[in-house]
Amino acid sequence: MDLTLIVALVIALALFFDFTNGFHDTANAMATPIATGALRPRTAVALAAMLNLVGAFLSTEVAQTISGGLIRGEGSHVSITPPLVLAGLVGAITWNLVTWLLGIPSSSSHALFGGLIGATIVGTWQLGSIDYGVLLGKIALPALLSPLVAGLVAFCATRLAYSITRRSDGLPDGRSGFRYAQIFSSSLVALSHGTNDAQKTMGVITLLLISADLQPNGQPGPQWWVILMCALAIATGTYAGGWRIIRTLGRGLTEVKPAQGFASETATAATILASSHLGFALSTTQVASGSVIGSGLGRRGGQVRWGMAGRIALGWLFTLPVAAVVGGATALIARLGTAGLIIDLVIAVVVIVVVFRINARRRVTSEHLKVLAEAEVAHTAALTISINRQPKHPHDHEGAPQLKQGAGQPPILPAGLPSRPPGDPERQANREPESGPNEEAAREPASEPQPARERGPGRQNGEQR
Amino acid sequence: MIDWLAFVQVLVAALVGAAVVVSLYALGLRMLAVAGRTPYVPPAEFEEAITPFSPEKSRRKVKRVVKARKKNPYSPAVKRLALVAAYILFVLSGAVVLYGIYLMVPYFHAG
Repeated sequence: MDLTLIVALVIALALFFDFTNGFHDTANAMATPIATGALRPRTAVALAAMLNLVGAFLSTEVAQTISGGLIRGEGSHVSITPPLVLAGLVGAITWNLVTWLLGIPSSSSHALFGGLIGATIVGTWQLGSIDYGVLLGKIALPALLSPLVAGLVAFCATRLAYSITRRSDGLPDGRSGFRYAQIFSSSLVALSHGTNDAQKTMGVITLLLISADLQPNGQPGPQWWVILMCALAIATGTYAGGWRIIRTLGRGLTEVKPAQGFASETATAATILASSHLGFALSTTQVASGSVIGSGLGRRGGQVRWGMAGRIALGWLFTLPVAAVVGGATALIARLGTAGLIIDLVIAVVVIVVVFRINARRRVTSEHLKVLAEAEVAHTAALTISINRQPKHPHDHEGAPQLKQGAGQPPILPAGLPSRPPGDPERQANREPESGPNEEAAREPASEPQPARERGPGRQNGEQR
Repeated sequence: MIDWLAFVQVLVAALVGAAVVVSLYALGLRMLAVAGRTPYVPPAEFEEAITPFSPEKSRRKVKRVVKARKKNPYSPAVKRLALVAAYILFVLSGAVVLYGIYLMVPYFHAG
């Protein structure tokens, strides 16, 4: 196959990866402000998209690290070829799409690195083609420590925010004022995401151009059209909004109040800024998740759903290896030559189409956040209590309760929501932190297997009550 | 090979940075309360928010806030001072955030 054609195809795939990166990571910045009602979902993703676009133009340091760092060159030439970049991208995209479908906030960067590492090892048949020192020191260890650091910072920040605004006289404390601050702190996170993540794709495309001898000599950084296209791709992806992951981060881990949201966003931004200033490329996703957990621990009466947290951590653990295996397998096929490349592309397209079809069947949009809220408030109206559990797709229940609303169908409630006494609107609208364990258990309905009696078809359809 | 010192640096820098921003803003809110201007910011329109919310609850909260403002025990001078302090604190908090953006863009400081 013509080299230029391959390069063009790989660039297209890289931009698609950038797109998935965008909607995978919208949640990092915008899950908490959406959760506390500081911003409307559509406003939030539009803001994040804009800031990602701007952020992509602000810095190219990370891009240069990728195009000249992780994968060792032989002499002046890097050992990676366009087909290998393609294989790596297929691995990364596959993992990103699958985790998005499951609503797991996993690191897009780790997926990318994993895919490239797997492809390089298979492509060169040399385990030594990867700089393991860089892998351990710059990727694996920060991945382990960054959620802890962010969590600790968010914990302290939350404690501070609450203790400073606490009033002993029982009068309103004005903590809802943190909503304004959240707009700014989440914007800062979105901007820093733009300066980091768009560049990863720029780095890959530059790596590709270098390997194909298409990069102008003596220019280590990405070219202007690469920057522009990557910025647009990530902004579009961000605007598309990964609602599944937003739901997980916004309410799957802990119930977020404005003060907590502000504290966790500030902690995320501070950790990312401090680390990138000192030369670590942290995963924004892991930092953001760590912050949310930390802020959940920091509030009195705040509860963290450790089952969910564990599932997310498990996802992180698998990110790099799985992407590497997929990337390696794809690289293995690519060794067949042109036919192999075509097979790879077909596989990539099939994966993308299948995932989007599954998504279309069980769509989660900003509307679903609304349905969830309405469902809880409408609860005293004794609408059907039901679970939307279809055993065929158990994984779709990762994260917050899966709620679908068909035409003319009342909102379906997660099973086990405790019956609140009717005529107690205060209680239904005002879900205070002091809520008992009963309510807590109710808010994590999807993770527990439900009794079979509630799984009957009659209960799945809201109209058959 | 592993730069532990850098990790500690990241932790300390992030901790200090976040603590400063959050403290400044929280102190600002506190001062607003002292000044008799306890804010109440309702969540974005109920239909789209994750946080369950109703207009009645919003009205109740506003009522409480207004009542609390009347009960304020401080003298007018103290209130004025607190209000000025609150705005200064908010501005400082914003300045620290701007410094964060400054750090983010190598163009400003890499030279």
